Amino acid sequence: MNLNLVIIVSVAFAIAAYLVSKVNDKAGAFMTVAGSMFALVTVFLLRNSIGSEISFLYFNFNLTVTGWYFSLVMLTAYSMTAFFNPFWMKKLIYPAGYNFLYLLSMAGTLGVFFAKDFITLFVFWETVVWSSAFIIQMGKSRQAAYVYYVISAIGSMATLFAIMFAYGTTGTFVINEAFKGLAGYPGRAIVIFITFIAAGMAKIGIFPFHVWLPSAHGSAPHTFSPVLSGGLVKMGAFVALLSVTAFPAYEIFKDMASFRGIPLPIYFMMALGAISIVAGTLMAIKQEDAKKLLAYSSVANGGYILIGLLMLDQVGFAGGMMHIVNHAVASAAAFLSIAAVAYRTGTTKMSEMGGMIHRMPVTYLVYLIAIISMAGIPPMGGFVSKWLIFQGLADKGLIFLATTAFFGSIGSFLYVFRPLSAVFLGQTFTRDLEKKEVGFFMMFPMLILTLLSLLTGVFPNIFLRVVVEIQSAFGMLPVTLAENTIVTSNGFLDAFRVFIVFGFGFAIAFVLFVIRRKSRKVELMDTFTSAEFIHTRELLHYSHSFYAPFERLYEKAPDTMKLYHKAAVKINELGNMAESAFFGIRPARTVLLVMGMVLIVIIAGGVL
Amino acid sequence: MMINPVLLIAIPLGLAFIAVVFKKLQGWILAIGVAANAFLVFFVEKGETAIGGFKLPFAISLVLDDFSFIGVILVNVLTLAAVAVAFRKTEKYVPVILAGLAGLNGMVLTGDMFNLFVFMEITAISAYILSSEGRKPEQSFNYLVIGSIGSVLYLLGLILIYGQTGTLNMSLMAEKSALIGQAAMVLPLVLIFAGIAVEAKLLPMSGWVRGVLGNSNALTGVMFASVYSSAALMVFGRVFSQVLIPGTTAGVIIIVIALLTFAAGQVSAFRSKSLRQVLLYSSIAQSGLAAALFATGFVFPAVLVIINNAAGKMIMFSTAGNLEEKYGTDDYVGLGGAFVRNMPAGVAFTIAALSLTGLPLVFGFYAKLNVLAAYLNQGTFFVPAVVLAGTIIEGAYFIRILIKLWAPGKEGEWADADQSVGEKKIFNPAGTVVVILVTLLIILSGFLPDSVGKLVAPGGGLLGDEGPSISLTMEKGGDQ
Repeated sequence: MNLNLVIIVSVAFAIAAYLVSKVNDKAGAFMTVAGSMFALVTVFLLRNSIGSEISFLYFNFNLTVTGWYFSLVMLTAYSMTAFFNPFWMKKLIYPAGYNFLYLLSMAGTLGVFFAKDFITLFVFWETVVWSSAFIIQMGKSRQAAYVYYVISAIGSMATLFAIMFAYGTTGTFVINEAFKGLAGYPGRAIVIFITFIAAGMAKIGIFPFHVWLPSAHGSAPHTFSPVLSGGLVKMGAFVALLSVTAFPAYEIFKDMASFRGIPLPIYFMMALGAISIVAGTLMAIKQEDAKKLLAYSSVANGGYILIGLLMLDQVGFAGGMMHIVNHAVASAAAFLSIAAVAYRTGTTKMSEMGGMIHRMPVTYLVYLIAIISMAGIPPMGGFVSKWLIFQGLADKGLIFLATTAFFGSIGSFLYVFRPLSAVFLGQTFTRDLEKKEVGFFMMFPMLILTLLSLLTGVFPNIFLRVVVEIQSAFGMLPVTLAENTIVTSNGFLDAFRVFIVFGFGFAIAFVLFVIRRKSRKVELMDTFTSAEFIHTRELLHYSHSFYAPFERLYEKAPDTMKLYHKAAVKINELGNMAESAFFGIRPARTVLLVMGMVLIVIIAGGVL
Repeated sequence: MMINPVLLIAIPLGLAFIAVVFKKLQGWILAIGVAANAFLVFFVEKGETAIGGFKLPFAISLVLDDFSFIGVILVNVLTLAAVAVAFRKTEKYVPVILAGLAGLNGMVLTGDMFNLFVFMEITAISAYILSSEGRKPEQSFNYLVIGSIGSVLYLLGLILIYGQTGTLNMSLMAEKSALIGQAAMVLPLVLIFAGIAVEAKLLPMSGWVRGVLGNSNALTGVMFASVYSSAALMVFGRVFSQVLIPGTTAGVIIIVIALLTFAAGQVSAFRSKSLRQVLLYSSIAQSGLAAALFATGFVFPAVLVIINNAAGKMIMFSTAGNLEEKYGTDDYVGLGGAFVRNMPAGVAFTIAALSLTGLPLVFGFYAKLNVLAAYLNQGTFFVPAVVLAGTIIEGAYFIRILIKLWAPGKEGEWADADQSVGEKKIFNPAGTVVVILVTLLIILSGFLPDSVGKLVAPGGGLLGDEGPSISLTMEKGGDQ
């Protein structure tokens, strides 16, 4: 089993899924489950082939530890989400097309992570972009797919420019060599660095490219949002990683102005990541739709990942890499649980739901653990990665970035709690009183992801050991791992011990809950009204306008999307002008233009 | 068994006259003529053939070298495809199409500058008549006027060159014109440029395109955008890369005009709401790009762009023309969901759009890479930046159209097949087959680009371009 076979079989699965879906779309969806599980298992087993190279047509692949790590994260997102596919086929306009594109994009991501040269990387990257764009359009918003594609294209074309420019200078496309020769061209190096990382920034959703994320993740078919948020943004993280490792940014820029040891171009990118954290957090707090809220949280977490990766040091980098796993798992689990609720209630608007904990307790548990991880609270994995990132920032003395990181962490608690209280807690709406929990087939992936969240939190070293390998491969000093602890210069973390302490706390609270008297359940509309008539259930839900005072603080914040609209309008105007000036019908104008041109040429030609 | 290249011109021309006489057999005559040409094109004798028994360099000659071989394949095969897809629409235009085919072959094959003028006129006349199909007399008249102006300017330029070099034979003129000073060449060069620019859709002679292509049907759209366009651009390439190589002044003028055409075409396409308008402006933009590449001496990428554009536009214009015929509109907002029950047409159109944007896994990517590499190898990065900016815009408007045509539905609701404009089949079975074949070719050459590269490179090498700036099937390591 080699990588070629994995990719080819995945594509074969994609075609097979399409054909089977034409006959029975549920069966086709089951093929996506089979295909993604196949890829997951085989790539996991490729562990032993790490270090080898392989080619197919003009694609060249290189099995690196980094690629293996990233692709496992991606395939986990794809395979777990695939379990939900069969139940959503009815809603899709092209079930067969969806299944085909689902697996095709998966095969594309494999090509990206294992690419040896930039042409391979770019070909598979773009394949993922257009196949996911065609899936997003099947959801609630066509505009979202369009914006997604355009911003992705801006990033991709910038990266293509960087790749070709580097090729023109160094003569090679091989990832590990293409940028090494740029040390002698400082001016070009900056241009290439900025344009190259653009695709990564656009994909992760870093400010100012973040505008596509909320609409795309929020409106995509419910079974694709977990993949988008948990998986595809990590492709951007991969490019960001390449931009400081394959492109030896720290070396090339070492003579440039730097802030606390970080060269300015890199610091600028990290600052953009910090702005994303703040912007994502604040926007998430405002949202009324659960999926859009989670999408903004992906923006914020993307900022964390970017900052961690770009630090390229012992501790912060490990935190960034770990956060990739944690966020992928938690985000996928959160989106899946919202999808499960949407499957039963038909909506993701938080104001229309309530009290689902009584009807769907397992889904509630999945969501709860996911958000504990996202907020960075022990004993879940998110705590470990954020702890590492904070350590790195603090050690380096990066005050601004550290402040935004802490702010993002606190703010994340605010926004993740909102769907919890709005959707699951509180009183149940009458129309939902008969809803049931989702079936086992949908519960299975959610439980797996929850267990993974716990695993990363209680035994983080399982994953960190791989990160150590990656760090060594890139020549960094790896994070120090002892038995079950992570040792840093500021102290150590024994995650298992933390888990035990939390376990005790939980046990005590549980005992108290069981002993004490239960509260009396009251129906939503059974409330004191001073003889007023009440009819709007939504307004009475206790999470309505939850954070109104806080939101009022930044009500008037500027909207980046308006910038893009203005740019589009300007291009439209430019087109109008070009059309009337150059492509008009009146021959007289053309004749005059030509005569003018000829005259100018005669005069200028005579002079020259 | 090698045949004389004259047959490629004589057969369609002869059949055109026969078709006038035997009106009832027109369909058969057209089919035979077009198929025969497409078949014979692979058996033509290479080299320079003198016509009429005179000796070179005084004779009119037909040159089949590696460059014109590509041109002649494109012209004949694409005409066959165009006729096959829209056979029913060729009813009244059989002699015109055949005569036009003869003219096009002549344009690409000829080795004599005045003969080129003659064939350009024949082609132009067939084009004017074809454009009248759109029932917009004012637009056809406009085309006629601009075309005539262009021809006159071309003739003027040719006279000046003839006066200076004393010959009309292309290869001889190439030698002689190299000896003349640049200043003397600027004016004739610009005049000849203006002449060829009409059919090649370059500024400032492209005022006719909106009216003519905007009202075309599946047949005429494909003929103009694929067949005539490719021939005109190949002629442009021949003239400006081999015969009259522009010096610095004229070269800069031509390149600037060509890039301006590219940029103007892309932004105009972006604001267009009508499907055919978007496509025609995209064609203008691609022409501008090819012309800029030719004028810089990058013949290989230019030919790739031409092939890519021809194949893609063939699919897209036939789809657009059929959509307009079936639904009465080509406003793509009003055509929402037209692909819902039309998978083959939809997939073909999508692949064509992706190829024109230059997305990977299809041929257009190879073309785009070569365009960028040609400039960036030299260290110029302004032009690649313009090309990439244009690509973003092109991708934007194509994706907008694709999304509209594939996924009908109100914003805020899931895409719903019931909201589609209709379920009429876009292509008849024959058309579907042709379109799928072209699509498969585009995909296949996307996976095996070097095979195409090897076919095209000798033509490029002939005109001074050393060949692909990138080789994609690389030895281990992934570099050239």
